[in-house]
Amino acid sequence: MFFRMISGTLFRQWKKMLMIAFTIALGASLATAMLSVMLDVGDKVNQELKTYGANITVVPKESSVLNSLYEVEDGGSSGAYLREDELGKIKTIFWAFNIIDYAPFVNAKATLDDGSEIIAVGTWFNHHMELPTGEQLDAGVASMRNWWSITSGKWLDEQSADSRTVAMAGSALAQRLGIQPGDTVHLTGTESDITVTVVGIFDAGGDEDGRLFMPLDTAQALDGLDGKIDSIEVSALTTPENELAVQAAKDPKSLTIAQYETWYCTAYASSICYQIQEVITDSVASPVRQVAESEGAILEKTELLMTLITILSLVGSALGICNLVTASVMERSAEMGLMKAIGAQNSSVSGLVLTEIVITAIIGGTVGFFAGWGFAQIIGHTVFGSSIEMRPVVIPIVAVLVLVVTLAGCIPAIRMLLRLHPAEVLHGK
Amino acid sequence: MKRRQMYFRMITASLIRRRSRMLVALLSIAIGAAILSGLVTIYYDVPRQMGAQFRNYGANMIITSEGGSLTDGDIEQSRSYIDSADIVGVTPYRYESVRIRELPVMAAGTDMSQALLTSPYWSVEGAMPAAEGGQLLLGASLSEQFRLGVGDEVTVSFTPEANGTASDEPVLDSTLDLTVAGVLKTGGPEEDYVYIAMSDLETLTGISGKADLAEMSVSASGDKLKAYADVISANVPAVSASLVKRVTESETTVLTKLQALVLLVTVVVLALTMICVATTMTAVVAERRREIGLRKAIGASNGGIIKEFMGEGMMLGAIGGLAGSLLGFVFAQQVSVNVFGSSISFMPVLVPITILVSVAVTGVSCLLPIRSATQVDPALVLKGE
Amino acid sequence: MSLLELKNIYKIYGDLHALDDVNLKVEKGEWLSIMGPSGSGKSTMMNIIGCMDKPTRGEVLLDGTDISKESAKNLTTIRRDKIGLIFQQFHLVNYLTAVENVMLAQYYHSVPDEKEAVEALDRVGLADRAKHLPSQLSGGEQQRVCVARALINYPEIILADEPTGNLDDANEKIVVDLFHKLHNEGTTLIVVTHDPEVAEVAQRTVYLRNGKLVKETVNENFTGEIKFDKD
Repeated sequence: MFFRMISGTLFRQWKKMLMIAFTIALGASLATAMLSVMLDVGDKVNQELKTYGANITVVPKESSVLNSLYEVEDGGSSGAYLREDELGKIKTIFWAFNIIDYAPFVNAKATLDDGSEIIAVGTWFNHHMELPTGEQLDAGVASMRNWWSITSGKWLDEQSADSRTVAMAGSALAQRLGIQPGDTVHLTGTESDITVTVVGIFDAGGDEDGRLFMPLDTAQALDGLDGKIDSIEVSALTTPENELAVQAAKDPKSLTIAQYETWYCTAYASSICYQIQEVITDSVASPVRQVAESEGAILEKTELLMTLITILSLVGSALGICNLVTASVMERSAEMGLMKAIGAQNSSVSGLVLTEIVITAIIGGTVGFFAGWGFAQIIGHTVFGSSIEMRPVVIPIVAVLVLVVTLAGCIPAIRMLLRLHPAEVLHGK
Repeated sequence: MKRRQMYFRMITASLIRRRSRMLVALLSIAIGAAILSGLVTIYYDVPRQMGAQFRNYGANMIITSEGGSLTDGDIEQSRSYIDSADIVGVTPYRYESVRIRELPVMAAGTDMSQALLTSPYWSVEGAMPAAEGGQLLLGASLSEQFRLGVGDEVTVSFTPEANGTASDEPVLDSTLDLTVAGVLKTGGPEEDYVYIAMSDLETLTGISGKADLAEMSVSASGDKLKAYADVISANVPAVSASLVKRVTESETTVLTKLQALVLLVTVVVLALTMICVATTMTAVVAERRREIGLRKAIGASNGGIIKEFMGEGMMLGAIGGLAGSLLGFVFAQQVSVNVFGSSISFMPVLVPITILVSVAVTGVSCLLPIRSATQVDPALVLKGE
Repeated sequence: MSLLELKNIYKIYGDLHALDDVNLKVEKGEWLSIMGPSGSGKSTMMNIIGCMDKPTRGEVLLDGTDISKESAKNLTTIRRDKIGLIFQQFHLVNYLTAVENVMLAQYYHSVPDEKEAVEALDRVGLADRAKHLPSQLSGGEQQRVCVARALINYPEIILADEPTGNLDDANEKIVVDLFHKLHNEGTTLIVVTHDPEVAEVAQRTVYLRNGKLVKETVNENFTGEIKFDKD
């Protein structure tokens, strides 16, 4: 009979119940959408911040120091190198999944036909890698230097047939030499000489404007540096630093085992650096503070901002649901009075109301959950151009929220029901 | 008594004497309005506040001289073209090759008091050197190479360029004894430099009043920043201002996305909140079908009833909107203080807008249920069904 | 000419003839009771007289004009101007004070006048309770507020639907005495009831059964006083 009464309400009063379910669905969808966006916004913004380029640089251990300085002096390379054959290992570290891009660099000195010296930089442009995990990755400066504007020509394509004899020139260099895309440049290195065709001219707004960029092999051949690279730039998704990370960055050995494990298994810039040093022989990996620190600050602020907005919207939807549930239960005081008049106990009347509301809440909440998921995807695609990952933790949070809020909404109504005098209700007071 | 007076008397009686029910409706409207005004305030403030965060990336404009070197006058003049509220820091740099223990090292002379403003990401072990000189900041690589730490004394020597007329005369090195005040870590090429106060570098080289470039950190992005750079290049003779593309381009991209995110979130939250307000108002009206029937029975026309209930709803909307716009400002202020550590500017124009929107939303959401309620047959309602 | 005349009124819901060829004349100043058991068509008849419903067939002449074909909007105007309604369940607006409830009728009719409204309450003996909310009044007092509200616009007819249905004997007497007073002042009264004690006070009583007027009695020794059976 209990169930007959409940189904009676649900089906015969479906309009009212539909409105409650609708409101609950709205609230639940708002909660779902906001929570999903909030939980994913860190990763999304982190991806966006990758436009600032590498946040980790890897250089040879010895005289990583003098490299930059001597480069200013004579444009050449110092004596120590990293090994090209170890590059793939970067994608095998514990946090490999967080490494979204990286590129090796080798600087070769070359002489032009007019006798002037330039720096020829060998690197990856859109180097295609097939990883042991089956993952495919296109890494290189095409994505890591996306602030370069190509003033004429196009990006160098490593997959093209003539990829070994092409190059890209910085705008300053191009201006000095008066070259256009399609022109050829003859370079003489310490070991060999080569003629490359310039396919594009870029404006980087920095020192790189004076250099000639070409595929790694080509630059290595010029100075006989086969298999050797000067530095690697790595773009990784990282977690903002905290005290533990700062301590670990100074000396990982000072940590306790538990701390070490926490640190090692968290995507701090310092732990990723540490892991890279483990796989690349004789290397020093260090976070680029300009990028790493700013990323941390921006990420933290964005996440906090979204958290507060989420809390506000949760409060908003909770109130909305609460209000309507209270109002709709109150509305039925006559019916409840009648039930009490024909002998229903307070407990059974309350039980009936609660069961009805909870069933409605479950239906509304489920619909709302999926609607909210849809909203989150709309936000993800509109803003970030990628879908928002659904965290499983959202489901219990939304479920608990909807149930608690709905039941809370019933409390004032049920208290009123319990105080009802059947006679008064039936006399239409 | 005028009819209008009675009208307001009825509405206020309904609002005041039905306190608890009306408070619930009011609360939901106020929360809706608070969300509206709060989120809109945040939306407008995000670029400014986030822009400040982006200044962590350091300088976004570089001023160089088109020929020769940059003078203090050039820097001051460039600075004058930028709204002083937008300037985060301006730091001149002058690079000279000096020697430490007979090894060549690049030294950068700068204004120590400004350096951290344009390069907030510098991590200094020890302290920044004093602005007046006598101390230096050693790049981490150099510190390791020379095995020098904080507090150590170091002699910096400089060989002046050979003077053309007296090329045969031996040129004496000038030297300066400085204390290492701090070691600089950046993970970038700065670790290979030694930073000393501009005045010390001038003493060392004997040449003063010139710099190679000045870094500027300006809290502006996109077109505004570009406009600043253009104005400086056009108006200051022999100076060209260029943007640090890596920083500016990326900032524009990320800021645009963040603002779009807040906008979209605002729209979604707002739409859902408004629907919540609407359902609440629907429930509030539905509760009063019997009263509507009674009013019809004693001679109210449909139009009259709509007018009264709408008046009530819109008054609720106005009160809720006012409360909400203040609440929203408090919320936005809290968010701003908690997230960005700075206060937000109050936008007075938001108050009337919020009130108007909440009046409109409550009005519209009351209209439909009231219209359907006026279709009731008074006879049926009054029979107590 | 009668104040109100029902001519061959039918009200048909599907197969059910709620009213079946009803003819009735009510003179100005008359006190009429309509009696009948539940389902006899009393309510339908009251709704038609009270301009809250229209007959399926037939004519309703109020002051000589046929109102049976009027639009709902016009019916509202007629009801407002000519009819004062009293309900079994009082139906006061619960957030308005007694005097405001009376003024509500004035407001819809013409112009609210607090002084006049208080006078009306005085006539039902409630001047001192004018500022009370319905919840602070007893059932009898609430019904008297309804009476004050019904008579405030000087209607042609006061139509009362089970006015004493929710009242005890003492309050019933107060309300009936009020009716007597109104009758003496020349107001036309139509009281729908199934309570013989209340019905019998009237000058004339018509009996409804299954939608037809089956009997009509005239109270020869009309006093306007209610007599309770002392059993």
